Amino acid sequence: MKRISLLLMCLFLVMAWLSGCATFETEKKAVPYRLTAQGTVVWEDEFEFLPPPPDWKLLRVEEEGGDINFGFTRSDPGGFPSMTSFAYDEEPFGCSTKFEDREKEFFKRFLFNAILDFRILEKRKAQALGGESLEVVVEGKDPVKKEKVRAKVVFGKRAERIVGFYITQWRPIDGTYDLSAFEVFDKFVKSFKFLKKSFYETL
Amino acid sequence: MEGHERNLYLYERFNARVLGVTRDDVITLKYWAKNLDLTFPILSNITSFLGVSVDAQVEGRAIFSRRTIIIDKTGIIRYVRDGSPNFRDILLFLKKLNQEGRLDPTTGGKP
Repeated sequence: MKRISLLLMCLFLVMAWLSGCATFETEKKAVPYRLTAQGTVVWEDEFEFLPPPPDWKLLRVEEEGGDINFGFTRSDPGGFPSMTSFAYDEEPFGCSTKFEDREKEFFKRFLFNAILDFRILEKRKAQALGGESLEVVVEGKDPVKKEKVRAKVVFGKRAERIVGFYITQWRPIDGTYDLSAFEVFDKFVKSFKFLKKSFYETL
Repeated sequence: MEGHERNLYLYERFNARVLGVTRDDVITLKYWAKNLDLTFPILSNITSFLGVSVDAQVEGRAIFSRRTIIIDKTGIIRYVRDGSPNFRDILLFLKKLNQEGRLDPTTGGKP
């Protein structure tokens, strides 16, 4: 029988933590990537992927604890809030290592601050990162602000942990979605490869 | 807190256990833990003696500052960091402690 130690790790927290979330950086940092002759990007010698067209700008989310979290964004034609962003997330919301459970946990907090009425448009098993994945397409509407968002989330596996990709496309409530952006996202996800073991696999 | 929940299997590997401590009441914590699907214990310390004992009590306010503390099996505080937890740092520290034998109850804290 495995013996468990007496180690206690105590965490003192403030309730403000409950609403804590990542924030977008305001300062430009050196971007640790290089382009390959094949037209792919190698990021920190850890990931390789097909970048989106040049009209997409790089988006980095502030790192807490070293987890990697980056993506791309672009402004779309039309009135506010027309824009599209997609990202790779090493630690998507939730804790479970099972896709179905993680999906439920994830959508409790995804775009939580926007307070939207979400509905699932499509959910299916697929392939990503060399294994099984789960794809979920949702649409959220805010009838008060008269905004809507279409999002696609792809849950994949990196060893025993779940990682995520997501794209969000915001529009005025009567706006039209540009599904070509979702094709760019799909190419990004399909091309995404791990070039080395994750931090957690090396422990 | 989700980060700790995700890392429970690694804490287990390093013979570590995690506890949350807050000044919030039990009902709030139950709701919060359920909402975030947390499975490790979170202690309600309304009277704040735990926070005072590790200097995490914010003066004049009914909250603890955000602080991560690692205590080894002999009761010695080995790690203190303020602010959001740096999970990679925590895991590396626990791995090191475990390798030193400080977390193994069968060795009495000796390697």
